[in-house]
Amino acid sequence: MNTIEELAKIARTRPEKLKEQKGKGVKLIGYIGRFVPEELIIASGASPYLLCRGGQPEPPDAVMPYLIRFYSPYSRSQIGYHLMGIDPMVPILDLIAIQASDCHEARLADVCEYCKLPLARLGVPPDWDKSLSRDYYQKQLISLKEKLEALTGHTITDEKLKGSIESINKIRDALKKIDLLRREQPPRIGGYDFIRLNHYSFYGDPEVLIVQLNNLYEQLQKGKSPFTGKEPRILLVGHVIAAGDYVVPKLIEDSGGVIVAELLDEGMRQCAWNVKTEGDLIANLVKTYYLERTPPSIFQPAWEKRVEFIKTLVKDFNIDGVVWYQLTFDEIYSLESNIVSEAMVEINTPFLKLESSYEYSREAMGPLTTRIESFIESIKQKRSR
Amino acid sequence: MAKDIYEDFLRLAGFEESEMSEYLPLWRKASAKVGLTEGDIKYATEERIPTYFDLRLKGVRLSIGSYIKELIDLTRGDEYREKGAKIVYGILPAHLHYYYALKLTAPDKVFVSFPDACIGGGLNLLFHKLNPYLENAERGGASYGCRHCALNKTRYAARNLGVIPSPDISWIWGLICDEGPKMDEYIQLKCDPNWKTYVTRIPHDQPLGAVEDEDVSRVEYLASQMRDGFEFVQKEIGIKVTDDKVQEVVNIWQRYAGKLFELYGLLACDPQPASAIDTNLFGTLLFMPYNTGIESMEKALDILIEELKQRVANKEGILPGAPKLMMWGIPANNPWVVKIFEENGVRLPFSLGFVLTKKQVTPPTFKDPYMAAAETWFRMGPNCNIGYEAEQIREKIETYGADAMVFGFFDFDRWLGGSHRLLARMVEEKCGLPTFYIEGDSWEDRDYSEEALRTRIESICEIIKMRKS
Repeated sequence: MNTIEELAKIARTRPEKLKEQKGKGVKLIGYIGRFVPEELIIASGASPYLLCRGGQPEPPDAVMPYLIRFYSPYSRSQIGYHLMGIDPMVPILDLIAIQASDCHEARLADVCEYCKLPLARLGVPPDWDKSLSRDYYQKQLISLKEKLEALTGHTITDEKLKGSIESINKIRDALKKIDLLRREQPPRIGGYDFIRLNHYSFYGDPEVLIVQLNNLYEQLQKGKSPFTGKEPRILLVGHVIAAGDYVVPKLIEDSGGVIVAELLDEGMRQCAWNVKTEGDLIANLVKTYYLERTPPSIFQPAWEKRVEFIKTLVKDFNIDGVVWYQLTFDEIYSLESNIVSEAMVEINTPFLKLESSYEYSREAMGPLTTRIESFIESIKQKRSR
Repeated sequence: MAKDIYEDFLRLAGFEESEMSEYLPLWRKASAKVGLTEGDIKYATEERIPTYFDLRLKGVRLSIGSYIKELIDLTRGDEYREKGAKIVYGILPAHLHYYYALKLTAPDKVFVSFPDACIGGGLNLLFHKLNPYLENAERGGASYGCRHCALNKTRYAARNLGVIPSPDISWIWGLICDEGPKMDEYIQLKCDPNWKTYVTRIPHDQPLGAVEDEDVSRVEYLASQMRDGFEFVQKEIGIKVTDDKVQEVVNIWQRYAGKLFELYGLLACDPQPASAIDTNLFGTLLFMPYNTGIESMEKALDILIEELKQRVANKEGILPGAPKLMMWGIPANNPWVVKIFEENGVRLPFSLGFVLTKKQVTPPTFKDPYMAAAETWFRMGPNCNIGYEAEQIREKIETYGADAMVFGFFDFDRWLGGSHRLLARMVEEKCGLPTFYIEGDSWEDRDYSEEALRTRIESICEIIKMRKS
């Protein structure tokens, strides 16, 4: 069994392991969103579990009795599996921490609360360039810390928090090293695997993950690339590739391309930015989580900065084409796609916008496959000219 | 002499003969600028307005006239700028007191408008002519299938088509939806680098049922946001507003709100003395500032209240004894919705979501104008968590009575519209009232046309009548 498969197995069996932990008195904390620091949960002695499932059409539809259909299928999925009675984790969670940075998340939280799930909302002001907003987020983190302490009965000391920050930093470091192997030509690993690795990195004990990810890095470094070097190098941009929503990344690579970089706001480790372990640790979390990372699309202002970041990725990772992965009714990303598309025209980089409602029926797969294959083919032709 | 449809329109809208020489040329010019043809004016004058409005009521005609004066004014932004005025825009929903306070402080030095609400709120209601704006925005990237908000699309298109100039500052509020403020970022990057903005936001992170106006830290945060925003705007345009002026606006707003309260009380009577469509334009001034001032609409409101009092006294009105349906937000731009309900023997007095509770018309507890403004903001159900809003709806239903309630027509709004299915459940649980949800769009009717919704509305009416009988 190779390391990726081992990590996949660990992730797959995580619910069972957490159930055992719960039996021993460990609190289980589900969380949704990139602004909920896993470090705080671990430091409280609880076990974190990222809710980031998607890729199937039924769970978003299961939310319809509570929510209108004009919400992104990703947001709806986070409660949809539970409403269908097929989510192994949500019923056993002691708390679900949901970030509230946009209306999709905020209404998801409403549905969760209405359905009597234990909830902690984490307000994230999108007007992030104000000190007022930064202070608000900091207070929200302190409030979450207090809730976790009350729930677990453990004080989150600086020492514990420092330890958990160091652990998560090590996971990020390992992923970052793996990520950088994709700058090579040919890349040592494709985006389909790298995105899944990111997901798996949320579903395991940190000490195990650190060892496994570093082992994988060694293997990749020593091994032969599975790619030929002729594959168009693709940058994948969008809101999120949820755990299980792998059709598009896989299709891109099955069609002869290779994803060598991503700008995805959710579901990824954001491994380029580590949290400092000296000084005021909560302030450090605020700095990294709120201020340093590339702002998500909902932040304002954000789009100019994000376009600049995309242009940097295009240059640094030798990108041949950009695929924009749009989720239906994700209105902010829908607008941003036009800004990015125009910027890509300016730098002569092919751009393809795909939209998904997590409907991957045979009827839907045909046109999707054709579009991706044509895009990859056209880049190849452009390269050969 | 040939019939002048523009003149006829103004006459229908309650303009005095003495005003014609001033307003007729302005109306011709303004209507052309917003994209209205002579045919559109004729349609509004001879068909649409007489079909949906009770033009026997002078207050109703004057409310249309007041709106038209504001629409004319909106098209003159460039002229105001040439005369040295600074242009300040906002969006729905915002705390409009600050815009009025600017206007009260320096009436000739500032031009205030919520341009999309002004255009979007009247062009479809009176002329059924918003589509060119929506289509322009869709061509500009606000894709049709994503259910972007018609107001945001209208703001983009109004700028893109040159109907409105760049603002000196657009104080953009994201206290409810995300798309409103982000559309300003879009406009700035896509079609107008001079579109300067200041953003005010607060996260939706309150638990269901939290009484947000009584949470001092939350009120303080919003007050700080408002203070920062207003100070930024004042600095940007060089106008200093005193707290007294803000307080003056608070008093004006409370006075106007009190009159609306009285109007809604009359509309709740049986028989209902006027249709909800007749009174729609009055409510808009609670949420958007008129650069031309509140006075003309307030005068129309005073007249209408007297007219309706007379009708109530005479027991005149529509659908006596009919079931009373409360709708969260009456889709005023689609007046046929109310008509279909009425044709099917069910009456709708007003938008329950925008009617005020006793607490909402009580003066704020804080003296600091920003704290008072923030407190006022959080007293409004739609601005808060839906648990609190459901409780407010319960109080309103107790006050005004209802046989059923309908939610919907806000499917474009991921905050307001997104709450409706849950709200319907909560209200049904709290009040034991049958509730219904209709998917639709209150601003436009391309997706949800009269033909598409008639069966749904008719079936709701049948259920309500059966229950009532």
